[in-house]
Amino acid sequence: MQPLANVTPLKPPPRAGAIEVRNVGQVFRTKSQDVVALEDVSLDIKPGRFVVLVGPSGCGKSTLLMMMAGLRAQTSGTITVNGAPIPQPDPNRVGVVFQEASLFPWLTAEDNVEFPLALRGVAKAERRAKAQDALKLVGLEGFGKRHPHELSGGMKQRVSIARGLVQDPPVLLMDEPFAALDEQTRMTMGDELLRIWAATGKTVVFVTHSLTEAVYLADEVIVMSPRPGRIVDQLQVNLPRPRTYEMLSGDAFGALRDRIWRHIRKSA
Amino acid sequence: MSAKTLRHLIVAGLLVLWELLPRTGLIPELFLPSLSSTLLAGWNEAAEYGHALAVTLYEVAVSMAFACGGGILLGAIVGSLPRPRLLIMPMVSSLYAVPLVILYPVFTVWLGIGSESKIAFASIYGFLPTMLATAAGIQTIDPQLLLAARSMGATLSQRLVRVIIPAAIPTVLSGLRIGGALVIVGVVVSEMLISSAGIGYLISRYRTILDSPHVFAGVLLVLFMAIAFNTAIRWIERKAAIWQTGTRAGQSAADEVGSGAMQPAT
Repeated sequence: MQPLANVTPLKPPPRAGAIEVRNVGQVFRTKSQDVVALEDVSLDIKPGRFVVLVGPSGCGKSTLLMMMAGLRAQTSGTITVNGAPIPQPDPNRVGVVFQEASLFPWLTAEDNVEFPLALRGVAKAERRAKAQDALKLVGLEGFGKRHPHELSGGMKQRVSIARGLVQDPPVLLMDEPFAALDEQTRMTMGDELLRIWAATGKTVVFVTHSLTEAVYLADEVIVMSPRPGRIVDQLQVNLPRPRTYEMLSGDAFGALRDRIWRHIRKSA
Repeated sequence: MSAKTLRHLIVAGLLVLWELLPRTGLIPELFLPSLSSTLLAGWNEAAEYGHALAVTLYEVAVSMAFACGGGILLGAIVGSLPRPRLLIMPMVSSLYAVPLVILYPVFTVWLGIGSESKIAFASIYGFLPTMLATAAGIQTIDPQLLLAARSMGATLSQRLVRVIIPAAIPTVLSGLRIGGALVIVGVVVSEMLISSAGIGYLISRYRTILDSPHVFAGVLLVLFMAIAFNTAIRWIERKAAIWQTGTRAGQSAADEVGSGAMQPAT
């Protein structure tokens, strides 16, 4: 674990949290035609990095994320997480955070966080202790007994993150997790996520529509374009960490955002 | 004054009117016997009514087991598998528009005029809304929840027990509410048509000899039965579905079932 805010862990366990995507393709067969969702995508994500996938709708960024989670099989190519393929979901290697709707509304926040442990038959006391730790990490200590409809949008998303982290996987995949939040909450949650990321040293792959969010959060931004889905650019974001609100109006920030926008305008 | 006390006052007022209107002669006792003479009639024939109630309750209980059990089972199959849905749903929906009571004489031919024909009729009567609600409840489950469960490594049976069933409970319960009410209707109506026992039979028999107090005593018993059933369902709903307020999907599905959009032709 690495408490410092701005770098990958100094000595990560070898390959823990590394993701390798090699020549991955995905074809959806429909009745009338085959749709190429992804074509020859290759990507190397180093352990502990914060990588953001951006691109217009239909560029396959969510599809790619689902493949990294083992929730969908690719038509061709290979994906490895921690050096091994991921043919089905493995919560010990990969935690997934969806949009806010994915909390179970009939369970309390802590029962939601315990859910993946309960599936594995972990004893109640251990489950509770781990859930409390995860809720504390996301700043929701004392909210465990509430049901999702008693929590705000931002709090629900914190519960989702806690659920993704409760088994301490080296990789956290996030599929537009803040898309349903209002602007202010979104900014706060971005900072919170960076704090959690820095505290845990996880590899994070984050899908978003927002260019500002992409540059603000990322070590590296992967720009994708549709028809067929492919990678058109990879940008290193060398802004210092911790990131601050003032950086948003800086020249370096603007230049990066402009570069992404030019790619997206071309393909949209 | 709260809405609740007001409601109690309205009920009390109606009871007082029930006693006073016939007594003052504003309404002839033949049309509406006073509350006291109704209760007295019931009390004098307590053994007869008790026996009839036992028969009716037995028929309701067995029919409810068939209607709810079968409705939930078949609704779950139809709701989760597209192929049976394509085969069965159009038939069930058109069947829903048929006044099923026309089948009752046929059942008495097949099964006689004892409890069996009532149970068969009431079971089918209550089965349809339960099945439709269960199917709707399972179809309207947010696919994101199932995807999330899968991402946490849930097996198929874990997804069924931990996600599909709890997510479907509110809609299934609102189907049970309608299905159960229809079971009571089905039993009482069939007893009134062709039978030899039960509250419906008593009501019908006393009506033919124009004995209004005894007719109304039977009506009161049916009323109590329906109220007791409704109270029980409400209690279960409160226990099982505290989260319902939070989900729009569950709520709208429940509304659709509850608002009478799925009421059958009687």
